[in-house]
Amino acid sequence: MSAPSRIMAHLVAYYPDRAGSLRAARGLADGGCTWLEVQFPFSDPTADGPDIQAACARALEAGFTVKDGFVLVAEICAAVTVPVFVMSYANLLFTRGVGRFLDECHAAGAYGVIVPDLPPDADEGLYAEARARGLAAVPVLSPSISTERLCRAAALDTEYIYATLRAGTTGPRSTVDEATRRFLSSIKEARTTRPAKILAGFGVTSREQVRALESHAHGVIVGSALVREIAGGGDPYALLRARIRELVRP
Amino acid sequence: MKRFNDFFGQFGGRYVAEMLRAPLDELEAAFLDALDDASFRDLLALTLRDFAGRPTPLLFAENATRELGGARIYIKLEGLAHTGAHKINNAIGQALLAKRMGKTRIIAETGAGQHGVATAAVCARLGIPCRVYMGAVDMRRQKPNVFWMERYGAEVVAVTGGSATLKDAVNEALRDWAGSFRDTHYLLGSALGPSPYPDMVREFQSVIGKELCGQIEEKGLECAALVACVGGGSNAIGFFSPFLESETPELIGVEAGGRGTGVGEHAARMNGRGQPGIVQGYKSLFLTDADGQVLSTHSVSAGLDYPGIGPQLAHLGTMGRVRFLTASDAEALEAVKFFARMEGMIFALESAHAAAAVMRIARDYPAESSLVVNMSGRGDKDLFILARAMDAEPWAEFLREEAAQ
Ligand SMILES: Cc1ncc(COP(=O)(O)O)c(C=O)c1O
Repeated sequence: MSAPSRIMAHLVAYYPDRAGSLRAARGLADGGCTWLEVQFPFSDPTADGPDIQAACARALEAGFTVKDGFVLVAEICAAVTVPVFVMSYANLLFTRGVGRFLDECHAAGAYGVIVPDLPPDADEGLYAEARARGLAAVPVLSPSISTERLCRAAALDTEYIYATLRAGTTGPRSTVDEATRRFLSSIKEARTTRPAKILAGFGVTSREQVRALESHAHGVIVGSALVREIAGGGDPYALLRARIRELVRP
Repeated sequence: MKRFNDFFGQFGGRYVAEMLRAPLDELEAAFLDALDDASFRDLLALTLRDFAGRPTPLLFAENATRELGGARIYIKLEGLAHTGAHKINNAIGQALLAKRMGKTRIIAETGAGQHGVATAAVCARLGIPCRVYMGAVDMRRQKPNVFWMERYGAEVVAVTGGSATLKDAVNEALRDWAGSFRDTHYLLGSALGPSPYPDMVREFQSVIGKELCGQIEEKGLECAALVACVGGGSNAIGFFSPFLESETPELIGVEAGGRGTGVGEHAARMNGRGQPGIVQGYKSLFLTDADGQVLSTHSVSAGLDYPGIGPQLAHLGTMGRVRFLTASDAEALEAVKFFARMEGMIFALESAHAAAAVMRIARDYPAESSLVVNMSGRGDKDLFILARAMDAEPWAEFLREEAAQ
């Protein structure tokens, strides 16, 4: 029998509200996810599709602030045993100061950060500063990346690399085809130091997709599908625990 | 001025998710290659002449000058260009570039609708399918432009997220492009966004300033200052472009003062109100809260109702080369009335902010000097807003009768 799948489960801090997002985190962890990705909502989430956009808007209405976000992350880290990554957009880090934002991540107990619009070479010092603090900054790479940029990103020698399975925004379902597999292996080949743990995501909603990706990536990221799961109300803990169980089932 | 700068002091850059890097790198290369190609430059010049109707005139506002006292007032009539605003200059440039790149679909965002109308018209002429993203709030207040875009065959998509205005339309266009860049060009309408847009839009709008240089010389003007409104900054940077590296004339940008100085009451980002940020792919000054969340804005003119400013203007403002003023909603409306009566010119509400500033400062300059204001657009599109502000009841009565037909 194969082992359960490794999933990075995404949630939006303060969605549907503060207490709900804490319950969501617990449900995801108890359901068996391997990592948690906690998105700090930004007013203008240009890389996100409709589900996460709506969740971010609602989270901001629910009173999210960056300071409160770190308090929540600390509570999540105390409540779960899996590593927690903070995901957000450049402006929340830049406004606070990248160094200070990372200090607060570290103090809250986060394992790493994911900031799609601070790519390698336009990163405002993110990768170097995270490394200096022992935090895992995760570059987000996409199939359209040039070989030259791929090699440069690989040379950052980060523990994890986030690979988006297709172009576009989060949400719509991705197919796992030959091009996807080629992209994932090109990342592996570009890495000349230790192997990177590749997390593959964007549009993963089903057990079948998770299985199809498993042999090509270290882990699979599930985002919008989980946000949708709790969009209709109900207890985030129960809903998400059940959903993750189904997705990781060996 | 170099054609490609990427950064302007601390502002600018290409802060996008990796998937948009490749299309932006491709666009930069194609843009620089096109500018080096005489046949592209010739085609651009010909299209600006025959389709857009350039050059646009420089008009001496004799009555306004007499009425206001002080400097002689001249108006650069960009509003006389086809589709009614300077936006056509950039739309033509980028659409020709897109065609040269082999792109078969064009998307754009629009605020006031002038950029959308310009893009839709050029796409109609070039036979390229066009989709325009527009905030739902802006679709309502600039309805005539929605109508014209559709007549040109464009698909206008209402954006309901966020504040449902220009910045949200930019977000939605960026999302579309992130998935469609292989066959699609994103025809961004102002001198903002990730590099190379600020450089590219300035270059395509620089035709305004280049024409002005010739017209100043021809008329022998002693030009004290140039005045332009600033939304994202495309008309201003194009108008100012030949003068950026000299010390004269004075360059004045006018932002939307809206109806007050509180949060959500204006769209003035300079003079300490905006803070440095990275939003929509570029670093500049933005109206944001202490966490960096983008704040809501207000202006009577949809085209100035935007929380960020183009990175080059932010830099020039910080350096002191461009002086920034504001004009309120009420002042802009007064300026529309004044220039209509004095000169027979209806300014677009955006451009009327520049006109309002000129009305305020004309007397600060000697009588033998000249102030040139850029009428970036004409006000036809604002008919409904102006009618409600100036002639509400008879107009409402007319609309009721019209609807009853
Ligand atoms: C007539 C007119 N002027 C000015 C603007 C503001 O844009 P920018 O600052 O890029 O010139 C607009 C934008 O819609 C416009 O329609």
